[in-house]
Amino acid sequence: MMTADSLHLTMATLEPFSSLELGHFILTSAILFAIGIIGFLTRRNMIVMFLCTELMFQAAAIAMIAFGRFHMDLSGQVFVIFILTVAAAESALALALVVLLFRRKETLNAEAWTELRE
Amino acid sequence: MYTFAFDLQSYAPIGILIIMALVFGAFNLIATHLLGPTRHGEEKEGTYESGMEPIGSARKRFNIRFYILAMTFLVFDVEIVFLYPWAVTFAKLVPQSPESAMFLGRISFFIGTSIIAYIYAWRKGVFRWD
Amino acid sequence: MIEKLWFLIPEIILFIGVCVVSIMGLSHHRTWRSAVPGATIVFLIAAALATPFLYTPEKMEAAELLMPRVGWYFKVIVGFVSVLLALMCIGLIDRRYEAEVKAGRASFDPMRVNRGEFFIFFLLSVMGVNLICSANDLIWLFLALELVSLPTYVMVAMSRPSRKAQEAAVKYFFLGAMATGVFLYGFALLYGSTGTIVLTEMRDVFAAQVAEEGGVNLLGIVGMIVSLLGVAYKIAAAPMHFYVADVYEGAASAVSAFLAFVPKAAGFLGMILLLGTMGWAGHAGEGSTGLPMPIVTTLWMIAAITMTLGNVGALLQTSVKRMLAYSSVAHSGYMVIGLIAGPGLGINGVLFYLTAYGIMNTAAFAVLAGLERKKAEIETVDDLAGLRFKHPSMAIVMAISAASLLGVPPLLGFMGKLYIFVGGVETGHIPLVIIAGLNSAISAGYYLYLIGLPILSQPSPQAETITTGEARWPRLAGVIGAVLIIVLPVFTNYLYDATERSTEGYLDEQARQIGATDADEPDEPPDPALATRE
Repeated sequence: MMTADSLHLTMATLEPFSSLELGHFILTSAILFAIGIIGFLTRRNMIVMFLCTELMFQAAAIAMIAFGRFHMDLSGQVFVIFILTVAAAESALALALVVLLFRRKETLNAEAWTELRE
Repeated sequence: MYTFAFDLQSYAPIGILIIMALVFGAFNLIATHLLGPTRHGEEKEGTYESGMEPIGSARKRFNIRFYILAMTFLVFDVEIVFLYPWAVTFAKLVPQSPESAMFLGRISFFIGTSIIAYIYAWRKGVFRWD
Repeated sequence: MIEKLWFLIPEIILFIGVCVVSIMGLSHHRTWRSAVPGATIVFLIAAALATPFLYTPEKMEAAELLMPRVGWYFKVIVGFVSVLLALMCIGLIDRRYEAEVKAGRASFDPMRVNRGEFFIFFLLSVMGVNLICSANDLIWLFLALELVSLPTYVMVAMSRPSRKAQEAAVKYFFLGAMATGVFLYGFALLYGSTGTIVLTEMRDVFAAQVAEEGGVNLLGIVGMIVSLLGVAYKIAAAPMHFYVADVYEGAASAVSAFLAFVPKAAGFLGMILLLGTMGWAGHAGEGSTGLPMPIVTTLWMIAAITMTLGNVGALLQTSVKRMLAYSSVAHSGYMVIGLIAGPGLGINGVLFYLTAYGIMNTAAFAVLAGLERKKAEIETVDDLAGLRFKHPSMAIVMAISAASLLGVPPLLGFMGKLYIFVGGVETGHIPLVIIAGLNSAISAGYYLYLIGLPILSQPSPQAETITTGEARWPRLAGVIGAVLIIVLPVFTNYLYDATERSTEGYLDEQARQIGATDADEPDEPPDPALATRE
């Protein structure tokens, strides 16, 4: 399945890092993820909310790369490429939707949009 | 572990590239200065800012078309991310083997889908500026 | 690789459909543009019909998938329910603009033509569900889930030219992006726990972990729970259900029906695949205790909270669409019981229930899509009062679909509930089934309202002003759905056998694999084709 066997050779010259070092990376990604989700739930500017979701994506990407190195496996890095792509597609969509809303009502405050309520 | 051998010769192509870039840039500047007509005027001496008026508040509105173009660009920009790993792997395949044909087929399909999207955007009039 | 490509032919057909529809949608001729929904339906049917011929036993044997046969059932069902959904979308997009063009008041403007795009997104989303059937690694699963979701965000925004739809789209998109981030992080943890992203290998690693350490390691459990919570957004289950009512209310009825079926089917299939890596009790070999306790507890709570919140929420609504939205939440709760129960009646029941739910929910929404008042959708439940006098067929469709959603015995919805509840009882989750039973009783409170009001009640003054919409196709979709609700129970056995056949490969495979696993297998010899040129 893994196609680049020469890349495996390159990786074989590297040491997998110890679980102690892995912990640092995972801690970083967990903190990023937490910042993202807390920011998403507390901030009300739509651009900032979107940045927070991007932060969550990148947290997952960091975790993927760290685990990939820990297991000496390339698929984590491959996954990150796809995460980046989907993140780009989502940002294009977010931009479009936010512009659409902004043209209707000149604010980016999410609380100004309360037409749909119980 | 790697031993870091400093081999000057392997940097020769980069050196040549830098020299070529410098020569090309210098040649163009000098040639336009010598050959081109010299005119002055308000428009001519203003700052070029991709077709926008560069004077005034930076907080003014952009034309909505910038967003459409930016979004289109974003999608195609990200495509490069896939082409790099593909190119690195493809160079290592045995030429004319079934695997390399399959690799070529995959990337052709991938680029093909992007081209379809591009043509659609074109027909839709995304690139028209009026 | 070629075997996998073989299974992707339905998706390729849909992709060709996307290209054709995009060309037709931008055509200068109005007739071509108005043929777009028809072309969409043709390609949906073609993809669904091609599936049984492609999934031959030999091919399914050769495919190294976690559930090699599930596509055989799922692609057909999703295809045909999508046809009903596509019928409902006819005449929804660009109605005013096309009328202007017809009257000669407007000329062709590519920037204003949206119908083609809407159906492109429709096809892409259905394609995403089909792709999940062949998913064997987390990347594929992630991309397919995103392919299901991203087009739906745009579809909501396009569905009607009101501010409500745009607000709904933004809400749906932002919460959806957050949910994506959540399950992506879960995927990262699952990868960290197992060191592989391939689902079949992941299952072997988990089995080895259970054999060696007496249980799945903590990273794996946390990763699975986080992934499930993220995917719960797609199936509209608690704690990710809060968007449902607002989004369904804001979107046009046809698109709401789409949201209630397609992402839900995708989410359940994704969950089945994810849970399949850990295996259920009695299905993951000797000494296996099945799903780890924390995961069962999580699912248990998701099921109980989802159906209770859904049904109580629906009771409090006065808007039909919000009521159906909450009922969609409640039905997700019932289906999660099937996930807990596992292979056999549980998973088969989920697959069966998805079919049933898709049909009956589409029929209910089709009534709303087929009726209008002064060019606007009908809102409150009271608008339906006495529908029988003006639009008898729509009243009957509404009553039948509501009765089926409630689970009145001979109808399709009852059969679905029966399998899932029996599956739950068989695996010993009796308290959960009792909660589900109580919830069904609560749900009678609002479903009976939907059954009785159109049929028995006298029309209220505001109900008098309701007319049928311009397009007759949504009403046709409703009638087809109602007929299927009545007729399909006769073929329940056949349908259930189909679900059984679609999952059986998974069981055999898993039983065979257990014991023969070795997590520390040496690396595979390098592929000769990849030898360097030197």
